[in-house]
Amino acid sequence: MKKVFLTSLFAAFFMTAQIAKADVDAKGAEEFVHNMTNEGIEQIINANVSQAEKQQRFKKLFNEALDLDFIGKYVLGRYWRTATPEQRKEFINTYRELNTKVWSERFDEFKGKNFVFKGTTPSNSAGQVFVNTIVPMDQGEPATVVWRVKQDGNTFKIIDIIIEKVSLTMANRNEYTAFIKNNGGNIDALIANLKTKLK
Amino acid sequence: MLNKLGLCVYISAFALMTASCSSTSSHNESDGLESYNRAVYKFNNQFYKYVMKPVSKGYRHITTPTAREHIGNAFSNVKEPIYAVNHLLQGEVVESGKDLARFAVNTTLGIAGTYDVAGKGWNLPKNKTGFDDTLATWGMPDGPFIMLPFVGPSTPRATAGLVADSFANPVYWATANDANIHDKVYYPYVAANAVVVYESGMDVLDDLERNSVDFYTTMKSAYIQNRNGKASDDTVSYDFGMDDEEEDY
Repeated sequence: MKKVFLTSLFAAFFMTAQIAKADVDAKGAEEFVHNMTNEGIEQIINANVSQAEKQQRFKKLFNEALDLDFIGKYVLGRYWRTATPEQRKEFINTYRELNTKVWSERFDEFKGKNFVFKGTTPSNSAGQVFVNTIVPMDQGEPATVVWRVKQDGNTFKIIDIIIEKVSLTMANRNEYTAFIKNNGGNIDALIANLKTKLK
Repeated sequence: MLNKLGLCVYISAFALMTASCSSTSSHNESDGLESYNRAVYKFNNQFYKYVMKPVSKGYRHITTPTAREHIGNAFSNVKEPIYAVNHLLQGEVVESGKDLARFAVNTTLGIAGTYDVAGKGWNLPKNKTGFDDTLATWGMPDGPFIMLPFVGPSTPRATAGLVADSFANPVYWATANDANIHDKVYYPYVAANAVVVYESGMDVLDDLERNSVDFYTTMKSAYIQNRNGKASDDTVSYDFGMDDEEEDY
């Protein structure tokens, strides 16, 4: 009896896990990343417009494609729970502004590059999937860039970018939580430091 | 040479600047040596700021991007026999042969390795490895994260690999019998190689540092994630739960 119960439990668990993986439209997620990278390359990087216009277009695309509210909450780690509503709002806004600024200054690095899509890999998290791409390099092996995509209804959003196996959100989380920890748990100190980088 | 793709370089620069790419590792990001590591990191920062950066800027000033690419190729070519030996030690006989073929082709037709003829025309792409990978293949654990003076992020196994690879370097062997020649050739070679590598990653490191609130942790996180990721071929290393607020540094 006990064996039957355990077997049923395991079966239920694995069925739930399968449902969690199957609830994502992997093809749709891949198409979303494909369209986003295409737009980035054609409408921004290779477009014959001023640098200011390029930066405007990039900011719009970046904010539409990434779920910076979700990422911002994740990178604050356990300090999200202890943060006041005002601190949360202030942090998310600053994090959004900083990322938009930093990446709008970096996107030209992609000039002459293209993404080759290599299918998707399921995630253990419900409603999420990894879209695998490689970027051929002038020399040596291509760079791997994996996009972690979250589906909410018919909407897709990027919640992590993994480059050469390095998760950018995890790197941010480690950095920010270490900073807060080394500043006596002061979240405002982190926000103030991030703001200095916006200038 | 590091490639120009910003994203890749931003993250993997640290790992590339230390030694060969590792393949097997399984530690988390706990940092038992943090106070020592941070002290070494501060020292390294001063060394980069006052020695490596000015020298690298000087090197950049007197060379063109094309010249730097060819110089980088030549330095990289010298390391092909190290890859060959280590592929052999890992039981990768075919790969070892390819490394030697690359070395032969690039040293001759590639004019002392300045052109990657083997990679572009002979379909023999570079396949870096080192004694760190060999030790991993033999089952040696990685050990804790350590910051090495002058070198940067490392682990005990990566350090052992770095030392062994320096002894396996053809320039070391070619000059080992004559102390006078060794001093005049090998050490300048090591210094020049460091400048060539540092120059190629200098801008992205500066950019990363400028936008970081704790650059030591950023370097450590990227280095460890990169090593852990290479130890597994699937998504295990980065498929962590993103709803979890507790599991952090």
